[in-house]
Amino acid sequence: MLQSDNGPLRSEFSDDPDMTELVIEYVEKMPQRVHSMVTAFETSSREQLIRIVHQLKGSGGGYGFPQLTTVADRLEQRLLSISDQELSTVDPEFRALIELCGRMAA
Amino acid sequence: MPEAQSTTEDKRHSLLVVDDSEDVHRLLQARLRQENIDLIAALDGKTALAMADSEKPSLILLDLDMPDMDGFEVLRHLKDNSDTRDIPVIVLSGLHSPADKVVAFDLGAVDYVTKPFDLMELRVRLRSALRMSDLVDMLGKLAHIDGLTGLWNRAHFDDRWAACTSENDRSGRPLCIALFDLDHFKSINDTYGHPAGDGALQGFAKLIKREIRASDIPCRYGGEEFALIMPGTTPEDGAIVCDRIRQELGAMNWPAHPERKITVSIGIAGADADVQVSPEQWLEDTDKALYRAKKGGRDRVVVANLTSGQTLEFAKAA
Repeated sequence: MLQSDNGPLRSEFSDDPDMTELVIEYVEKMPQRVHSMVTAFETSSREQLIRIVHQLKGSGGGYGFPQLTTVADRLEQRLLSISDQELSTVDPEFRALIELCGRMAA
Repeated sequence: MPEAQSTTEDKRHSLLVVDDSEDVHRLLQARLRQENIDLIAALDGKTALAMADSEKPSLILLDLDMPDMDGFEVLRHLKDNSDTRDIPVIVLSGLHSPADKVVAFDLGAVDYVTKPFDLMELRVRLRSALRMSDLVDMLGKLAHIDGLTGLWNRAHFDDRWAACTSENDRSGRPLCIALFDLDHFKSINDTYGHPAGDGALQGFAKLIKREIRASDIPCRYGGEEFALIMPGTTPEDGAIVCDRIRQELGAMNWPAHPERKITVSIGIAGADADVQVSPEQWLEDTDKALYRAKKGGRDRVVVANLTSGQTLEFAKAA
């Protein structure tokens, strides 16, 4: 199934009846997570940001969003290699993750 | 009671999932719903160790990449604790850490799954680990069972006797132990051959199993000797149980050799409450009671009450 790069990002399990409710819950939590990440980024709370990104990395694939795992992983690796003061240097990766989260749909 | 489980698939297993992500727990709860397995959740290492110790799950799924106490530390602690050491652990390792697997296996993990995990793969690895763990359990049990009679063996008896006398010391609960010795057993072997003798032992073991209560611990003690530990039982009640066995044996017919009656001598030593007697002395007293049963004419029960100091005899009315 073709997905355009800017269209809604559907879960690989969107047709799986066992997973429907779970995926919906997961997607519904995304705005809250995005908000937390943005707050952490803006207040230079690197550790806090890493925690959230780490969770997304670990769970994304399981809910049918492997791209989420990939992009979150990329950001996490970058975050681990910099200091608290250098947060602005990961701006591109951060934006990529936020944008992806915004596109997620059940 | 030692019983061979007919299949390993009957048992209900429990899985302790250790992961700091609530999402992962929710996912597994949904995905493993159809498996014959109970899920226990722990969000951090400390909780995981406490739950492993109290719940004794059949299997642990352990995320290596956790804040605070990481998975390796949890694994180390699990293996250091003799109560949790034998619980199989499958680790969940991250994308960037092939070396993690090596360390995990070295620390005692039985398998690994990389995150994000493929559900199907996780399922089959879980099943495989549980199958293995059931086999290991069975093996452990087998090491405590007497091959011929299916009763507990002497090694198991020694363990349990130490534990029961300890408990009697601590709690003052009554405790009773019986030693059974089949009468003239040597002549059974001499007259009918060893296979017949084995058959008689098996038959007697079956009889014991039929007549005892769920809390009693029946053991093969020696060649033709059996022991029965009866926790929570006074000497008088113990004597009743054992005399019933004696009478049942007397009423039994040996189909292969109907002309031969088999009887048993039984010595019992028990206490109504806590006694200041060492486990070894207690066994000696039981043996003395058994000796008196033999000397007194066999086919009888002699019971020594260690609390009152009295000894009684149960025999067939002349």
